[in-house]
Amino acid sequence: MFGNLFKKKRYLFDDEGTMVFDMAHSTGKYYDEAMKKLEVESYQGDEMVVNMGPQHPSTHGVLRLELVLDGEVVKKTTPHIGYLHRNFEKHAENIGYNEVIPFCDRIDYLASMNQDMAYALAVEKLIGLSDLPEKVEYMRVLTCELNRIASHLVAIGTFGLDVGAFTPFLWAFRDREKIMDLFEWLSGARLLYNYIWVGGLAREVPDGWFEKVREFLDYFGPKMVEFDKLLSTNHIFIARTAEVGILAPDLAVSYGCTGPVLRGSGIKWDLRKDEPYSYYDRFDFDVPVGAGELGQLGSVLDRYLVRIREIDESVKIIRQVLEGIEPFKDQDVKAAIPKKIRPAAGAEVYVRSETPRGELGFLIRSDGSDVPFRVKARSPCFSNISVIDNISRGGMIADLVVIIGSLDIVLGCIDR
Amino acid sequence: MASYFRDIYRAIKTIAIGMGQTWKAMFRPAITLQYPNQKWELPVNARGILFNNVDDCIGCYKCARICPVQCIYIDTVKATADEDLGKASMGNPIRQHLIRFDIDMFKCCFCDLCTIVCPTECLYMTDEYENSVFSRDNGIYHFAKYLPEEARALKMREVEADMEKAKAKEAAIAAKKKAAAEKAAVPA
Repeated sequence: MFGNLFKKKRYLFDDEGTMVFDMAHSTGKYYDEAMKKLEVESYQGDEMVVNMGPQHPSTHGVLRLELVLDGEVVKKTTPHIGYLHRNFEKHAENIGYNEVIPFCDRIDYLASMNQDMAYALAVEKLIGLSDLPEKVEYMRVLTCELNRIASHLVAIGTFGLDVGAFTPFLWAFRDREKIMDLFEWLSGARLLYNYIWVGGLAREVPDGWFEKVREFLDYFGPKMVEFDKLLSTNHIFIARTAEVGILAPDLAVSYGCTGPVLRGSGIKWDLRKDEPYSYYDRFDFDVPVGAGELGQLGSVLDRYLVRIREIDESVKIIRQVLEGIEPFKDQDVKAAIPKKIRPAAGAEVYVRSETPRGELGFLIRSDGSDVPFRVKARSPCFSNISVIDNISRGGMIADLVVIIGSLDIVLGCIDR
Repeated sequence: MASYFRDIYRAIKTIAIGMGQTWKAMFRPAITLQYPNQKWELPVNARGILFNNVDDCIGCYKCARICPVQCIYIDTVKATADEDLGKASMGNPIRQHLIRFDIDMFKCCFCDLCTIVCPTECLYMTDEYENSVFSRDNGIYHFAKYLPEEARALKMREVEADMEKAKAKEAAIAAKKKAAAEKAAVPA
């Protein structure tokens, strides 16, 4: 009996009975195919392999790119990830549902509110919690949109830095600082908030906070006009970016790109509009898409412009929230927080929501205890970075830096 | 040829617009602070170094249990019947000697969960944020008010009490067995 089992492993036969693999003699069809893949690629002419990163300032984190270069032309790009792996998914299986939230903050540390929101939505669906107080829902939308602005400011600032513009970077960070101050007042932390909880919010909104948000919006409007004058309408900047890193719409879809990377290629897909969650169906806003009016469709400039326009849309949403929340200001944000989170055994949900970088999905499975059985995070950056080989091929190495900047990756989000 | 000169004209114009913006920025007041000498004022609920007011701590272990990174170490000894440890300022009776309350601030992730669950509100985050030290040992904050000898004595007391209890239990079991054996022996 065991001999047979061993034989089956040594020789592989296909349906017609011909041997495709012989372990002992290392012959057969599969073996040849495997060897072909393993074979060291023979580079031609002046081609050489260069490692970019993991400690490179323009890879936006600890990303290592293995480049095959012919002079200055990029022939192949292989991203190597995992340098920031913090074992989020396995760790979440050992701690309670509420204790996972500080770790959700750290998935994408530039947009913590959006990550908390996605996780809270998933757990709420898992335990069947709905009809939260209006104030909670409005505050969630408000903080998420503020964080979207902050995240996009980093994205466009560092993108400017990648093409050689230093001043916009400093100005973007100056304005982002104001949002950080607002969040610090609200939640106590500047970056990792742990503010949006399952069924509510961690803290009551301080007195006078909404007025400060309004003040910020009034301050921020003219600053974005200045920013556009400085960078977005700059002729040199447009000439540098309008023809670089073309991502075709069908390619973007087939790679699973989401967020501004997908919308930059002209595809109108935004979960806030197409699958509205929370109160997003109550607000009037547009989904900006790239049109390629200044160059080719799906260029890095299109992705940049989508982010610039999304900031304006977020400002629009925040203004509507500030109006809508007015009658519900006295509500208790902790009223609906469940005392104990213990979903039914075998319950499983997948909930996705739109973060500044694209769709973040949480798959949570419960085994009836107060710790999750499995938490899987579908990160948008992971799908977005996978497209890099395809769009950087044939371009210059300097263009590769611009492309990484336009994809707006966060390595914490890729590795988790 | 025409496009060449048009590009030059556009480049000069666009640089002039950008430089105009930066020129304006020169006359704005600076938004940066000279950090070690000047400091931002933090909001009241800012999250800094943890502090525990041990006079109010009842040793309930709630903070240690909810901590996602397990950086709070607590050890308690139950008070005996004749000891009265008083009450916390919120009225909760204190029933245990808190012989150890250590927080490893290097492990802490500043998530604020421990201060939210604290029933007596004795554990809170201060607005201190400058906790760089020369040795890793100095990053562990000790809050228990017992001296090491006292803590050891209390711990020994508990251990001895436990041992006495175990001995009494053993003796009781032995006595029971003996009685059972005698009972069995009498009819015979």
